Amino acid sequence: MATYDSLFSSLGLEQWCSEGKSSGPMSMADLLNQTRGESAEPASLWELPFPSMDALNESCAAFPQSRELTKGLEQGFLAVKDSLSLVLDPLTQPLSWFLDGALYAMLNTPWWIVIPLLLAVVYLVTKSWKLMLFVGGSIVLLAFIDHYDYAMQTLAIIFVCAFLCVLLGVPIGIAMARSNSLQRMIIPVLDMLQTLPPFVYLIPLIFLFSVTESKLYGIAIILYAIVPVIRLTNLGIRLVDKDVIEAADAFGMTPRQKLYKVQIPLALPNIMAGVNQTIMMSLAMVVIASLVSAPGLGVLVLRGIRNLELGVGLVSGLGIVILAVILDRVTKASLARINVSQKQ
Amino acid sequence: MRKLKSAVLLCALSSPLVAQADCGEVSITEMNWASNTIVTNVATFIMEQGYGCDVTIVPSDTVPAVTSVAENGEPDIVTELWLNSAGEAYLRLEEQGKVERVSKVLDPGGVEGWWIPTYLAEKHPELTTIEGVMENPELVGGRFNNCPDGWGCRVVSDNLVRALDLEDSGIEVFNHGSGETLASSMASAVQNEEPWFGYYWGPTVPLGKYDMTRVDLGDVKPDVHQKNQTADADNPGVSDFPAATILTSITTDFKEREPEVAEMLSKLTFKTETMSSILAWMDANNASGEEAAVYYLSNNSDEWSTWLDDAARQRLAKILN
Repeated sequence: MATYDSLFSSLGLEQWCSEGKSSGPMSMADLLNQTRGESAEPASLWELPFPSMDALNESCAAFPQSRELTKGLEQGFLAVKDSLSLVLDPLTQPLSWFLDGALYAMLNTPWWIVIPLLLAVVYLVTKSWKLMLFVGGSIVLLAFIDHYDYAMQTLAIIFVCAFLCVLLGVPIGIAMARSNSLQRMIIPVLDMLQTLPPFVYLIPLIFLFSVTESKLYGIAIILYAIVPVIRLTNLGIRLVDKDVIEAADAFGMTPRQKLYKVQIPLALPNIMAGVNQTIMMSLAMVVIASLVSAPGLGVLVLRGIRNLELGVGLVSGLGIVILAVILDRVTKASLARINVSQKQ
Repeated sequence: MRKLKSAVLLCALSSPLVAQADCGEVSITEMNWASNTIVTNVATFIMEQGYGCDVTIVPSDTVPAVTSVAENGEPDIVTELWLNSAGEAYLRLEEQGKVERVSKVLDPGGVEGWWIPTYLAEKHPELTTIEGVMENPELVGGRFNNCPDGWGCRVVSDNLVRALDLEDSGIEVFNHGSGETLASSMASAVQNEEPWFGYYWGPTVPLGKYDMTRVDLGDVKPDVHQKNQTADADNPGVSDFPAATILTSITTDFKEREPEVAEMLSKLTFKTETMSSILAWMDANNASGEEAAVYYLSNNSDEWSTWLDDAARQRLAKILN
């Protein structure tokens, strides 16, 4: 005797219900009732269960249980999986090559080439000796405590992912700025990517792609980190002064000239702010991506958590903080240079 | 919880022959893998219904549970404790007399090893030994799926890889980031009938669900295996994994407080095959760990009734028959 028996009998569905057989596993509550040696009495109104799938199934065996919903979803996903990965696999394959190539290059080039090269890049984009010395000191510190390989793996992943984010994100942002309907379509997707906990979209990714391929974590990082660069490119171009655009029109500029000569240069500070955010978010994601086999400092953080090796966790956490500060300082400094050059 | 309490009360009132059991609050760990959910739920049911305890289930994991016992003396019961992953910290607690192992909760114990899918073993019987695998790396996909960093098996497997010179034979070692990706790499390979070679352990849902064959690594040499458990051991040897000891462990405080429950826990043992079959059932029926525990309780009453003392047997008489 379950709560919703009368509902099904009043609908005349008893025949249909009795056709299904309740072969589902017994729950702990049923076992407790059996221990008590009585069947569950119809509860008072106060304890009325919500008419959920499971509660209805108790009254009517033919009614599906919620476990059948999850099972159905799983089977549906597995059914489309093969055709989906047939399309997505070749499309995303270059990502694996980039990541493997970057990791290989970073780890197999001797440190006395990599470190000066990195410092040269820092100087080129920031033109600041002070910052270059700071970055050099930080990297030497990481190398000194034997975290050089891990830090370089993390950096290599960030470089590849952030580069691809910019490569894909800036054109998407520009397209959004030029079309209001496109913006209306993309903004919900961006909102979703930003609010979904990363773990949630790791699950379908694990099933779609082979877990032993590096693109799995590459995609996870890119999906998470691409949002700010798209948003800020869109915003930057939309914020370009109307008067400037009018002037450009008056000079008879074509839309292409307007984009390259007016809008992008004026939106550059915003775009660079987006790039800065994207790099920082890639770094944040690199730790979580270690769960799906991304190498680098994140692995050490996970080891610290799993084994409660406090020291390992703290040192690798510190390594990540140092990388974050370096990346943030360098991108902010180059952003400042752009701002200054625009004011002249 | 309140409902359970009232159920106990009702049960006690309705059968005046049975004295009210005097068992206070008990905390028990629930680790994040399937077989442990079953063990914990079965133990919880018996303690609540048979002994009248007020049981709190603490979701945990091996190392955090041991640390928590060391620091706070809680939870009272740690069950399905894999001795090889709890390591030194646990043995130290035993030496200090803070905890006591009361039983091997799985008999003969956990299975660890390097596995290939059975269809692969049938097609190429030579792959069932490690020599065969190393001679034909392309047949197993040229890749060894290793444990995640921070697992006890990772240290052992790393040492075995070095001792065997596995990488020189053309097998790439892939270090997984988590147990989830290790399991799903196996699952997707088996579903597509592709080659797969890697570490796994049981009793677990994947090993109950997929037909896997263990790769023979040679004899079990306890002293070599012991040495392999140290990270970066000098000259590691080759030894297959021995059956892992899996314990129920309770704090000495708890033993003094609730001797009857401790007595029951010392008898609480599952056969490893029984556990594997429950896990296979659980997967086939899409059931939760709690439902699997009920399945065990309702189908194996002759087994678990021997764990109980007379009073508890009387209280649980209704489902025992």
